[in-house]
Amino acid sequence: MSEALSSNQAILLVARREFVTQVRSRSFVIGLVVTLALLGVGGGIGYFVAAQNSTSSLGLTADTASFRTALEATASTLDTELLITEVDDPSGQAQVDDDELDALLTGGPGAYELLGRDAVDSTVQSVVSTAVQQQALATALAGAGVDPAQLAAQSQVAVTTIEPSDPDSGQQLALALVATILLFFSLNYASLVATGVVEEKQSRVVELLLATITPRQLLAGKVLGLSVVGLLNLVVLGGISVVVASATGVLTLPAAAFGTFAMAILWYLLGFFLFAALYAAVGSTVSRQEELQSVITPIVFILIIPLVLTLNLLPSDPRNELAAVLSFIPFFSQTVMPARYALGVAPLWEVAVAALIAVIAIVVVVRLAARIYQNSILRTGARVTLREALRTRS
Amino acid sequence: MLEIGGISKRFGKLQALDGVTFAVKPGEVFGFVGSNGAGKTTTMRIVLGVLSADAGEVQWQDAPIDSEVRRRIGYMPEERGLYPKMKVGEQLRYLARLHGMSTAEAGTSVQRWTERLGVGARIGDEVLKLSLGNQQRVQLCAALVHDPEVLVLDEPFSGLDPTAVEVMSGVLRDKADAGVPVIFSSHQLELVERICDRIGIIAGGRMVAVGSVDELRSREASAVLDVEGPPAGWAADLSGVEVLASGDTHTRLRLAPDTDDQAVLVAAMAAGPVHDFRRWRPPLTELYRDVVQDAAAPVDLSGVPA
Repeated sequence: MSEALSSNQAILLVARREFVTQVRSRSFVIGLVVTLALLGVGGGIGYFVAAQNSTSSLGLTADTASFRTALEATASTLDTELLITEVDDPSGQAQVDDDELDALLTGGPGAYELLGRDAVDSTVQSVVSTAVQQQALATALAGAGVDPAQLAAQSQVAVTTIEPSDPDSGQQLALALVATILLFFSLNYASLVATGVVEEKQSRVVELLLATITPRQLLAGKVLGLSVVGLLNLVVLGGISVVVASATGVLTLPAAAFGTFAMAILWYLLGFFLFAALYAAVGSTVSRQEELQSVITPIVFILIIPLVLTLNLLPSDPRNELAAVLSFIPFFSQTVMPARYALGVAPLWEVAVAALIAVIAIVVVVRLAARIYQNSILRTGARVTLREALRTRS
Repeated sequence: MLEIGGISKRFGKLQALDGVTFAVKPGEVFGFVGSNGAGKTTTMRIVLGVLSADAGEVQWQDAPIDSEVRRRIGYMPEERGLYPKMKVGEQLRYLARLHGMSTAEAGTSVQRWTERLGVGARIGDEVLKLSLGNQQRVQLCAALVHDPEVLVLDEPFSGLDPTAVEVMSGVLRDKADAGVPVIFSSHQLELVERICDRIGIIAGGRMVAVGSVDELRSREASAVLDVEGPPAGWAADLSGVEVLASGDTHTRLRLAPDTDDQAVLVAAMAAGPVHDFRRWRPPLTELYRDVVQDAAAPVDLSGVPA
C-alpha cells in the first residue's frame, strides 16, 4: 500500500504542516495586525509631530513691533514659518496663557523678554534671539560708520556639494527604517523553529516522526515551512506599507521602494536560515518550553544589536564606517546591509559580496546545527551541553 | 521474518543490551517481557532505527532494515507522542502521508482505524481534549494507519480500560492473522500469556528465555503434580518425590528428574481412589519469576525452535 516517499516529499510534507499550523493560528493573525498597527501609529505620530513643528506663533507688543521685518527675514532663512501678530501687553500675556500664542516678545533694548507658557519653543527662541542680535549689531555698525549690507555680503559663505544633494534622501531614510523594522519582525519568526523543536521533543511526538523520516528531513521541513510564514508576514506588511504610502502621496519613489522590498526579501531569506539553524540547535538541547527562554535569549540579542545600531547610526550618518563594516559580517549583515542599500550608500556589488559571505556562513552554521540537533533531539531530561551534542553520535 | 541478531548497545558505562537475539515470524504475536530497565524499549528503538546499535543487525525478510522498510513498520513508542494541539484526524492523516500513503488512502485509512478503535467521533477534536485512554487509542491508530508490514508496540496496553484491552488484543490478533509479525512489550503477564504465540524474556540486557509458554514450562526439569483422592500421607515415603503441600485429599508433589510419574500414579491408586492426577502448569508469572531469578546464569534455549 505504502509507496516510496522521496526525501523531498518528506520535507515538503513537514513544511506544509508547519506553514498551515502557523498561518491558521491566532497568534499569526494577531502578530500581523499588531505590527501593522504599530507601523500606522508610528507613521501617524511622525506626521503629527512634523505638522506641529511647521508653524509657531509669536506676539509682538508696541515696543517690539519694529522687529517684525527682521523676524520675518530670519524665520525665512531658518526655514520655519512664524506667524506674527501685534497685541497689547496684557492681552498678549493672556493669549500665551491660553496657548493661542506660543510666545510674546516684550521690553526694550537691553531688557527684551520672551514670554512663554511653560516653555518657549526652541525655534522661536533662536529666531527671536538672532533677529535681536542682528538689530543690535546693525545699530552698532551704523554707529561705527560701517554699512551692514556690505559686511553681510563679505561674510557670506556659499554651500555647495560635490555630488548634487539628493532631494529624495528623506524618503530613502523612511524606506530604510520601515524595511529595517519589518525585516526585524519577520526574522523573529525564526524563533518559532526553537519553539517547534521543543514542542516535538516535549510531547515526544519526535520519536514517532523519526521512526519514519530522518532528523535532517524533519529539521529541513520545519525551517522551510516557517521561513514561508515569516516571508508571508514580510510580503503582506511590506506590500500594505508601500500601497498606503503611495496612495497617500507620502512615497513618490516606486522604483526605490521596489528595490528596497526586493532587498528586504533577499536578506530576510539569508538571515532566516542563519538564525533558524541557531534556534533549532539550541532548541534541541532542552526538553521543556520553560527551559527554552534562557537558551534563546543570546540569539534574540544577536538579532537586536544590529537593529539598534542601524536605527541609531544610519539616519544621521548613512556612511558610518562601523555600519559599513558590520554590513559584511554574518549575523549583522541581514539587518545593516539592506538599510545601507535603501539609503543609497551601498552599491550592488557590496550587497553581492555580503550575500556571498552570508551564504558561506549559512552552510557552516547549518551543518553544525544539524549535527547538534541530530545528537540532542532524542535526549530528554537534563540539558544537553553543546560539547556533548557536537561530539556524541547516537 | 523479523530477525533481531546479536544486538548490543552501550550507554556510557551501562551495557544496556548484550547480544540480544530473537525472531518473530509473520502471523505471530510476540510478547516481550522484562523488568524496568531490562532493555525492551532500547531494543524496540533500535528496530525502528531511532537508536543505532553498537553491534548486531536487524533484518526483515532476509535484508537489513533500511529507511524504506522502517517506513512500513507501525510503531508505538513507550513515551506516547502526538501533537497536542493538532486535530486527531489531521494528525493521523499527516502521519499516514509521512509513511508514504496518498492523500486519498490516508483519508480512508484514518476513517477505518478511528472507527475500529472507537474514536471515530473525535476526529475533529484536538488531541489534548481527549481522555488519556482515548489518546492511547489514537496512538494505536497512529501505529496502524499506514497499514504496516510489521508492528512494534511498546506497552500498548498500559492505561487501557478492560474494553479497550479487548479491542486492542483483537486488533493485534487480526493483524497477525493477516500475516504481520506483531511484537509488543508489557508487564501484564496474564495478558501476555493469553494472547501471545511466543514470548521473549529479557533481563539485564540479555535474552534469558524465548519460546511459547509451553516451551518455557518444559525447561523446568522437575515436574509438579496435583493429586486429588487418596488420603494425606500416601506419598511421604516414595523415592524421588517431595511433598510440597497436602490437605485432606489433595497432595502436591515435586518429582525429581527421571522419576517415573506412572509409578507415582500406581502408588496413589494403591492408597485410595484417584479422582484427579495432573501436572501443575505454572502460570507465566511463576515462570517469569524463576527465569529472571536465574538470569545471572542464563539458560541455553538454542534447541527451542524459533
